Amino acid sequence: MKSKFPELRAVRVGVVVIAILVATGWAIRSFEEPTWRVVRAQQPAMKLDSLQGALGQGVTVGLLGGFRAIVADFFWIKTNSLWEESDLPATQTLIKIVTAIDPRPLYFWLNGSRMIAYDMPHWRIIAKGGYDAVPPAEQKRIDSEQSTVAINYLREGFAYHPKSPAIYLEIANVYLNRLKDVAVAAEFYHEAALQPDAPYYAARIYGELLRRLGRKAEAYAWLKQLYPTLPRLVASDAANGEKSATQRQREEFIIETAMAPEVLMRIHELEKELKIAEQQKFRD
Amino acid sequence: MSPMANTVPFSLNRLVIVAGNTFLEAVRQKLFNFLLLLAIALVASAQFFREFNFGSSELKFISDFGFGAMVFFGSTLTIAATAQLFFSEIENRTALTILAKPIWRTEFIFGKFLGVFAVVGVFCALMTLLLAGLLYHRESGLMTMHPEAFEHGRIIHYADLVVMGMLQWLKFGVLAAITLLIASFSNTNLYTVVMSFFMLVICHLQYLARDAYAQVASVPLRLLVQVLGYVFPNFQVFNLADQIGVGSGLDASVALHVVVYALIYIGVIGGLAVYSFSSREI
Repeated sequence: MKSKFPELRAVRVGVVVIAILVATGWAIRSFEEPTWRVVRAQQPAMKLDSLQGALGQGVTVGLLGGFRAIVADFFWIKTNSLWEESDLPATQTLIKIVTAIDPRPLYFWLNGSRMIAYDMPHWRIIAKGGYDAVPPAEQKRIDSEQSTVAINYLREGFAYHPKSPAIYLEIANVYLNRLKDVAVAAEFYHEAALQPDAPYYAARIYGELLRRLGRKAEAYAWLKQLYPTLPRLVASDAANGEKSATQRQREEFIIETAMAPEVLMRIHELEKELKIAEQQKFRD
Repeated sequence: MSPMANTVPFSLNRLVIVAGNTFLEAVRQKLFNFLLLLAIALVASAQFFREFNFGSSELKFISDFGFGAMVFFGSTLTIAATAQLFFSEIENRTALTILAKPIWRTEFIFGKFLGVFAVVGVFCALMTLLLAGLLYHRESGLMTMHPEAFEHGRIIHYADLVVMGMLQWLKFGVLAAITLLIASFSNTNLYTVVMSFFMLVICHLQYLARDAYAQVASVPLRLLVQVLGYVFPNFQVFNLADQIGVGSGLDASVALHVVVYALIYIGVIGGLAVYSFSSREI
């Protein structure tokens, strides 16, 4: 049947189409929501605020097309070329865009934070006339500002790498090396040491910082507890013969970097400093 | 439904004939072969792009890159093929001949859909096969070089790879239905293609609108954004490829939910395309 108002036909069809789509979307939402929550938790969620900068730069198609890894890699190359030019605002923006596009690789978080915390204060001081021209208080303020930016940036990384000892260690390093805050740095080394697959040195540095903070009893207790967990060279390891050269090299490297003899030496030093009775001394 | 179609019942056979014809037309097109070759070349070259990889593991990078090529070229193929095959019938006046016969417009629209869906299915199958072969080859090489990293066996779950290929295929099905819906009221091929690409972008970013509406203070604006969130399907739910190459497999129940989600949307949007096309004067 022909409509009396053919010009209204398109409007009627449009209204019906939109109404049915809204109704479908509304009806299916309760079915979709739990699935979407699971999918979103599994994939590196691209957040609205952090993506706004990236979307304006022509990467939309790349991201939607699924080329997230390669788009982030190309942005990282661009970040490095800007870093070579000491372009602070652009480098800092791109560092954040790279991890907004692909937050999965730890490499971006760690190296990005190092640029912010270690290189950018230097650039700012040079831009103000150099180390001789900028008073030490001002230098300290710049260091503190950049370190805060780096720490906040690394904290964002926990959303994607919640149990990463590397991020805890990086924050600890910034507190220790840039902000000279030994107490807070020690806490972060401690957190790093508690994470799965933490490197042995995290626990060792924590013990050392406790000692430096004057908390020698705590340091002694910590190192005594740590030492038995450290891998050591066993001359008569029967399985050694069955291992490949690469495996043996890897194990030797782990043993070497665990530095068990140095930890034992520090335990004995602390025993002397704490005047531990002979019968209570730690025995290997 | 054409006037004569009132007299005949709906026929699955006629629908399959339209679909078969659409499929043959599509594979004869240069566009299909061109996009397929380009996508194959890109996936195969993933190994050379490894030089640009800074963070992800090598296998993860190849997997991401392969699915990236599949999504990018698959979307382009779906939109271009659907629009072109639909408008070739309108512009060549063959639609008039077909619809003058006792054939339902539902059969015509869903026949077109199934033809394109089959073409995209072939594309997805070839790409998945190529990607699986490439990953298997590279993983075997890495297993020889670094056996300690593969103590628990292979990292890539190849069955998940196939499931992912199927989910992408279903996503392209929803996209083909959307393109048909736009084509059903549009007058030109170009308009349909451009609008469909916009829809593709919107459906991928739909979740951002949902995030945004939770933050909007103004009630009318919040309602508007919420309604917009309902209009467009969420294409990000199909994005399960991030789980490939990281050791954890796909959750079967999640994949099944996504399949049902896609089928519902294909049915509803396809039905709307039929409704819109049925009132169109050709």
